Amino acid sequence: MDIISQLQEQVNTIALLAVNAFGTLQRDAPPVRLSTDYPEPAANSNPSNPNTTNADGNPNPNPNPSAKPSEEANNAAEQPKAMSAALVQAAKKFDALVAALPLSGEEAQLQRIAELQAENEAIGLELQKQLEAADLEMKQVQELFNHATDNCLNLKKPD
Amino acid sequence: MATGTAASYPPPPPYYRLYSDYSTDPDSAPPPPLPIEGSYPLYGATYTTEAVLPSLEDQGVRQLYPKGPNIDFKKELMSLNRDLQLHILELADVLIERPSQYARRVEDISLILRNMHHLLNSLRPHQARATLIHILESQIQRRKQAVEDIKRRREEAQKLLKESIQILDSQ
Repeated sequence: MDIISQLQEQVNTIALLAVNAFGTLQRDAPPVRLSTDYPEPAANSNPSNPNTTNADGNPNPNPNPSAKPSEEANNAAEQPKAMSAALVQAAKKFDALVAALPLSGEEAQLQRIAELQAENEAIGLELQKQLEAADLEMKQVQELFNHATDNCLNLKKPD
Repeated sequence: MATGTAASYPPPPPYYRLYSDYSTDPDSAPPPPLPIEGSYPLYGATYTTEAVLPSLEDQGVRQLYPKGPNIDFKKELMSLNRDLQLHILELADVLIERPSQYARRVEDISLILRNMHHLLNSLRPHQARATLIHILESQIQRRKQAVEDIKRRREEAQKLLKESIQILDSQ
């Protein structure tokens, strides 16, 4: 893909990464503790706050999903890191692509085009000249060949 | 019902009658119309035949990079990229502290993105000229190659003819 299309794709990628990052953060963010008077919801027994005591005094009535909430907490910490790293990588790639742009001035390009057109014209004329000369020679050789074959056929004695 | 829907559409243009004798006399029919130049209306909107990128003000978008005849594209693109990253960080901060004020920040980010795309689009004529230069160079290369080939073949043919004359003379 040419470099300008790559740059356009990279801009879209940066926008996509930013949108995904904010959407993921908003979706997966754990709820905020508003005040110390309100206890954490005990039914889900999220061990991210192990100091909570339930109504019946049982600190952790569900031992089974203990692996899952800690995994969620891990993901909640790693995902923003991974997403922000991806965003920064994409921005760096964009900068690298911009640095690789082969830019030159418009007048330089127009001048080069004029030079190339003149050279093309000259070479075209020479090519045409050579073609005409070669055509002429080919006709001459064909005529000679016809003469030779005529003579061969005429000099052959019939059986 | 069918007649109702059939009558509600306008009939096709009646130009087909002009070509009824085309098979017998091709000159009796009118020639095709010339291509349109300039601007033309189509389904209520005006289109133009000139291929020019409309400037940002024409699209109602503020232009962030400086105007002028010669724009340093690389510098402007890099500074726009840096601005974009800063605005993304600013949006993250606003969402933490004052979440109701996200709209202005999102608008700023989309403005920066539109400016970047407009800059990239305005690089396309430069790319077109570079492609043209490349095509001309390769055409010159091919023509030179063809001239060399023809010269070589002509010389070979001349050599063969001289050899055959020598052979015939010696016999």
